[in-house]
Amino acid sequence: MGWRWFHEWGSPKWFYDRAGRWQRVCGFLALALLLVGTLWGLGFAPADYQQGNSYRIIYLHVPVAFLAQALYVAMAVCAIVLFVWKMKLADVGMQALAVVGFGFTVLALFSGSIWGKPTWGTYWVWDARLTSMLILGFLYLGLIGLRSAIQNPDLAGKACAILVLVGVVNLPIIKYSVEWWSALHQPASFKLTEKPAMPASMWVPLLINLLGYYLVAAYLVLASMRTVILDRERGSAWVREVIERD
Amino acid sequence: MIEFQFDSLFNFLRMAPHGIYIWPVYGLGLLVIGGLAIWIRYQHRQAIRKIRRIMNRESIHEPKA
Amino acid sequence: MSVEHRFLVRELKLVLARPGDFFKPMWFLILVISMVPLALSPDSKLLGEIGSAMIWVATLLALLLNADQLFRDDFVDGVLEQWLFFNRPLFWLVILKLFCHWLFYVVPLILVTPLAGMMLSVPNDVMIALLVTLLLATPALTCFSALGAALTLGTARSGILGVLVMLPLFVPVIILAAGVLTRASDGSDILPLLALLGAFSIAAATLLPLAVGVALRLNIGGSS
Repeated sequence: MGWRWFHEWGSPKWFYDRAGRWQRVCGFLALALLLVGTLWGLGFAPADYQQGNSYRIIYLHVPVAFLAQALYVAMAVCAIVLFVWKMKLADVGMQALAVVGFGFTVLALFSGSIWGKPTWGTYWVWDARLTSMLILGFLYLGLIGLRSAIQNPDLAGKACAILVLVGVVNLPIIKYSVEWWSALHQPASFKLTEKPAMPASMWVPLLINLLGYYLVAAYLVLASMRTVILDRERGSAWVREVIERD
Repeated sequence: MIEFQFDSLFNFLRMAPHGIYIWPVYGLGLLVIGGLAIWIRYQHRQAIRKIRRIMNRESIHEPKA
Repeated sequence: MSVEHRFLVRELKLVLARPGDFFKPMWFLILVISMVPLALSPDSKLLGEIGSAMIWVATLLALLLNADQLFRDDFVDGVLEQWLFFNRPLFWLVILKLFCHWLFYVVPLILVTPLAGMMLSVPNDVMIALLVTLLLATPALTCFSALGAALTLGTARSGILGVLVMLPLFVPVIILAAGVLTRASDGSDILPLLALLGAFSIAAATLLPLAVGVALRLNIGGSS
């Protein structure tokens, strides 16, 4: 049983078919969850005592920021699978994750920045979270740039894998040093989302949104992977069949 | 516990006083995620088109059976 | 002559053969530092406050000027493939190469920074801290930029891609060094932070060459 599972995951055709179904399921679930979660957060959760209504941005910003980081870690897992088990699918995953992850990072940065205006009065502050997110954005950009610069896809995959692994080891170091730097230079009152305990009516929609955005990311990554697989395997017979079927 | 927090739809849209911050954020979210989805679908169709072109080119060069 | 000896001698000869590469970073440093008072103000007190940080950033950028060259010439000439046949592990040769690069290009650049310090009226104790942080941090920075250079060896023109790819990873080193400089200008104890910086540099200099070796092997294998 163990080996069959392993070989299935190594086969692009198997993945292409399965992923098509998973993609649709993720997409619909994501839509439903996000609709419920966002409307709940915007309309039904009580206003925050200190921040008033502006805190409602949290229902987009926090899940998206969390995912931006989680997707990077997922890329690191793909990199390990690529090196240890030499599974090409892992490289396809890494390629898809980089683009989606970068999109989420940009969204997290803009949502955080716009949230900053009513909260601190300016669109950008060099606080620990925003600065770390900015650096994460640069890391993603480097990966996308590296992949597009190297022509040979195998070489590109392995080079990106090395970069991701070095990046993921440095990520906690970067985050810690940025927090230290931020604490050195900024008065303690500058803290984003310091929460005293949130009532259930506030954090339940947060959880729903988190799940929703996670599924959106899954949908996007699966869809992107299927496209990459079609392109990479364009010489093979099963791809020809798929094209003719449509 | 769960009740609509605003007096009217108008106040919901205003989210006084932060409406001009909140709605653009969610609009941006829709744009980015929707944009990604559309772009990926476009890439998919491009890939299919490209492979079809290759297949057509190859069948032209095949000897007539 | 041992492999190490021949390596060092060859690197030294290459440096002497191309004095341009040797002096360019220094010229860049002085030029950029000269821009600072022009862009800011000639007020020496103000300059003194930000001077050390500006010199740090300018030195960093000057180092990155040459980063792409680290492996490219040897790669194009086929010398890199020879490395696989020396009786030494690849990462050891990487360490040798990076050590030579640091000794022959980076340290001379660091020795020019007091000149920049004088131009920006940096106080003496801060200047000393600056020198020490640069000496401690540059080995790690050289290793990081070597990784960027090794990863982009196969690409056509990208001089700057290797640099862009690596820059985010410099952040902890920059923050640590900046912390030392702030403490130095306050007059408080810099030793603990220096120790941390040194430890990070040693860790980077021992672990990164392994990754650089893997990246080089990828590109060497791919080209044949």
